Amino acid sequence: MTATEETLGDMLARRGFGRRGLLKFAIAMTASLALPPGMAPAMAENLAAAKRQSVIWLSFQECTGCLETLLRTSSPTIASLIFDFISLDYQEALMAASGSAAELTLRQAVAANKGKYLLAIDGSVPVADGGVYSLTGGRANVSMLEEFAPDAAAILAIGTCAAYGGIPKAYPNPTGAVGVEDVIADKPIVNIPGCPPIPEVLSGVLVFFVSFGRLPDLDDRKRPLAYFGTTIHDQCYRRPFYDQGKFAKSFDDEGARQGWCLFELGCKGPTTHNACASVKWNNGTSFPIESGHGCLGCSEPDFWDQEGGFYTSLAGGTGPGWQDSGIAAAAGIAGGAAAAFAARHKTTKPDQEKPE
Amino acid sequence: MAPPRVKNFDFLGDDGLVDALLTEVADNLRNLLSHQRPGSIDLLGLPLSPTCLATLEARLGVGEISASLHVSGESLIRETAFPGVWWTRHADETGRIVALLIEVAEVPEILRATKADMERGLQRLGEATNFTLARQPR
Repeated sequence: MTATEETLGDMLARRGFGRRGLLKFAIAMTASLALPPGMAPAMAENLAAAKRQSVIWLSFQECTGCLETLLRTSSPTIASLIFDFISLDYQEALMAASGSAAELTLRQAVAANKGKYLLAIDGSVPVADGGVYSLTGGRANVSMLEEFAPDAAAILAIGTCAAYGGIPKAYPNPTGAVGVEDVIADKPIVNIPGCPPIPEVLSGVLVFFVSFGRLPDLDDRKRPLAYFGTTIHDQCYRRPFYDQGKFAKSFDDEGARQGWCLFELGCKGPTTHNACASVKWNNGTSFPIESGHGCLGCSEPDFWDQEGGFYTSLAGGTGPGWQDSGIAAAAGIAGGAAAAFAARHKTTKPDQEKPE
Repeated sequence: MAPPRVKNFDFLGDDGLVDALLTEVADNLRNLLSHQRPGSIDLLGLPLSPTCLATLEARLGVGEISASLHVSGESLIRETAFPGVWWTRHADETGRIVALLIEVAEVPEILRATKADMERGLQRLGEATNFTLARQPR
């Protein structure tokens, strides 16, 4: 049996992973994807019969943070197997080939999987001045996107930059950065925004596509409803404090220590759709609000240019008492300088006293 | 963990939620008896407080059967005091709960040995037997 004929069921069996393991994975994935639990046996059956899904991944105007977060996830074994099951046929940062060999690999992968591959994009698409601000092998990103999108089964816009333009699109946007959907209008696109995006969301979308041959249900911004259907605020464990009107007024006041709501410190949870509060980060350890900082709204369009900035409440106002913090910081700097001077003085003294 | 899909049921109170879930369990059981159609309720998808979950688990009680599954982490499948109603908890390798269900079925699907499983087992048993015979002294 060749690698291309091998099904996920065959591969798992070869690795000693039986039907029950796959069913357990499907049960967890149906829960993650907000599907009825009764669909798990069908999902497991479809996954077992599925072939490797070709994924061609192009990186445009980006920082590689999206790829890093996806690679460094400590997913359970079966999810790792799923990623093995995906045939990542082209990814410049990960592949060994470079130069003309890499370009040949890309063309071969596209030809071999015409109409079937998933085109994954991270990074925004700069379109100003013919797209000259981000080139790969001398070719503009926008030109590559326009060439490879038509033969894709669907496009995954991974991260806020690929979805909506992200930070490169921030004012004054000198490169004319846009999201994938601003360039390609006639292909199924799923946006998986976040700066970076949550790895489990990408694996959920991939598993759904491999299982059912289509993208999951999306919201009006083309985000998977299962993960972006509610706001951070709706799911936040600090929500009861919001309802009770208990707000932290600065990052180190009594309210902050009591874990009260961070709304007045600029938390964008009420207007941000993402699964951070439920799926969380670092294998379910926590998420920004749990670490004491408000949500920045990084999975929403134009989050970098929000009126008032990150630390002004959605209701307006002046934000946290930076003036006090500034005084404290200034005192800290002054104290530090004094300490440094004292330390230097102390270290030079022995030298001065060193016997000749 | 799955994202909660229902916003806020505080107005019901824990007892109200538990009663609503038990009514759904009863519906599922009725459906199983009438149409042989198994059902399940995803508890991670509901905004249940730890107290509410504990109350629900206590009211369902403990039955005669409890099974452990050791695949990609531990799973516990336990029959409740109501035959055909199962409390199922799946954890991953790190111990994180990835699914928490009430299953209504004669036997949860994951416990059943399928024909394909048994055929593969028979093949392996045959191979193991031949291996043992080959090593026996004459």
